[in-house]
Amino acid sequence: MTDTLLSPEPSLRQSEGLFRVRQLLDNVEARPAPSLIAEPAKLNPPPSKAYFFWLMAPAILLLACISLYPFFWMIYMSLHDVEIGSATWNNFENFTRLVTDTRYLKGWTLLFQYSLMCLALQIGIGVFLAVVLNGSRFEKILVTTLLMPMMMAPIVAGLVWYFLYNGTFGWYHWLFQSVGLLDAKSILASPGTAMLGIVLVDVWQWTPLITLITLAGLKRVPQDQLEANMVDGASPLRNFFSITLPNLYPVLLIAVMLRFMDNFRFIDSALVLTGGGPGNATKILPIYLFEVSFKFFKLGRGAAIALTLLVVTIILGMILVKVFDRQQTRKS
Amino acid sequence: MASRDVVRYETPLTRGFRWFSAVFIALYLVWTLLPIFVMFVSSFKDLLEAFKIPAVGDWSGIGVFFDFTPTLKHYRDLFLNLDFSRYMANSLVAAGGSAVISVILGSMAAYSLSRIDFKGKSDLFFWIISTRMAPVVAVMVPLYAIFRSLDLVGTLPGLILAYTTFNLPFAIWILKGFFDNVPYAIEEAQMVDGATRFQAFMAILPLVAPGIGAFIVLCILFAWNDFLFAAIIGSGGAKTLPVATRELVQPQNIQWGSIMAAGVVTTLPMMLLGLVIRRYLVTGLTMGAVKE
Repeated sequence: MTDTLLSPEPSLRQSEGLFRVRQLLDNVEARPAPSLIAEPAKLNPPPSKAYFFWLMAPAILLLACISLYPFFWMIYMSLHDVEIGSATWNNFENFTRLVTDTRYLKGWTLLFQYSLMCLALQIGIGVFLAVVLNGSRFEKILVTTLLMPMMMAPIVAGLVWYFLYNGTFGWYHWLFQSVGLLDAKSILASPGTAMLGIVLVDVWQWTPLITLITLAGLKRVPQDQLEANMVDGASPLRNFFSITLPNLYPVLLIAVMLRFMDNFRFIDSALVLTGGGPGNATKILPIYLFEVSFKFFKLGRGAAIALTLLVVTIILGMILVKVFDRQQTRKS
Repeated sequence: MASRDVVRYETPLTRGFRWFSAVFIALYLVWTLLPIFVMFVSSFKDLLEAFKIPAVGDWSGIGVFFDFTPTLKHYRDLFLNLDFSRYMANSLVAAGGSAVISVILGSMAAYSLSRIDFKGKSDLFFWIISTRMAPVVAVMVPLYAIFRSLDLVGTLPGLILAYTTFNLPFAIWILKGFFDNVPYAIEEAQMVDGATRFQAFMAILPLVAPGIGAFIVLCILFAWNDFLFAAIIGSGGAKTLPVATRELVQPQNIQWGSIMAAGVVTTLPMMLLGLVIRRYLVTGLTMGAVKE
């Protein structure tokens, strides 16, 4: 006690005391509130997966109800003779009959023929257009204009083209005739040209998508490689084939797969343009399936056809996902 | 960029190419816009005027196309006599309903899928994406049988559910990519500050909001333009615009004026919406594989 009182420098001691108080106060502020120390679980809960599973449950359940459940129904239906309100087992007859069903087999051939024709034209025109547009003065406005057809309902596109192709008052028909490509018969009326007719509509509507995808890919072509090549004396054409195109392959692959699957998915415009005719010249498989199921209401047979179509699409999808994955790993 | 500074010398060959590409672009523009233009103009033409066409090879006769007195009678006809306002409402409810359901449920699922890892996740993903890629006609066969037994055929809820079969997987797949781009550290910081997990989720929503908005629009676009589902599952009670347009085509007398007007009514809103979400279009249409 006396020691403190008799200290030679009281002012110093006092300031020291103040300092202690400050330190204590600081300490209190820096430390978490006592209540939180008592319950650390609330501050930092252990990472629980249950929460996330609950969050995704509604979507997954709904999706299961509207896709998985129908899928099993489809298998069930494909093994039965389905009438309204009844289904009788028929010993895989739906499937065995497919093997000899010429229209079914021809449907596959026509589907691939249709898809390949669409793809060849779309890739050719689309890539060329992208290369030409890339970096041009009016790129933005031109691309936006090109987008227009993609927004159109395919059924409306089909109807408009049906009007343009018409043998008596169609403007495109008039054009084809005037140039000398066609005689009086409309492009959709003769079996030889009908396929080209529906392909052109698909090309009209979806080439811009290829152009857009290619443009996105072109922006990622390494400029330094192009430059180095040019310094070495390569012509622009050589540059395109040895640098630009290899860099585009991954995006083009995606574009091809997407369009291929969409050709399987959508038949709206073909349905309204030819409905599979003339004869069976454009009866691609989905149209045949549509007829069997919803015109003749042979739902069992339809389900069998649908199942084969679905399996092929899923295989294509697997390839697509593989490509996506490789794309992702390359980026990172 | 240095590459811009590299001097390219103009040779006759490159000049020729430039001319060729300019002509090509011009021709392509004409080919792209012509059907749309014809649709718009024909919707204002009277029946006989729409059928006027020059003789074969008569190139100077093209002017016939513009030789008409514009009339709004087809549009009046659509909305006054053909009940198109109801079909439009049907389209709007079906497309909007499925888009909203898909994006709400989809964003919840996409968020969880982007934040946790578990066994079989890639299989789950493959299932989701394959649901989206499945051919519409193939999906419809069993769906029709099921919906018929549940009395959902020809009703709007049935149609909404049918559209959800392709919009929900699309939303999950696309939005997962969006959530993947939001660092988990933001939520962690929120939770350290005392936010619950749900509050943390709500806190990062504004970051993905533009994307979510764009994909609601894209879902609406897919559903609005659909024909097959609407024709089979919505037939009767829930007729949408594409189906109503298609029904104007009758074997005996095809009402071209009305069809073109219906086409304009169906197409125009979607074209405008497409321009609004232009930035997200490529990402959306390529299932997120390509980004602009």
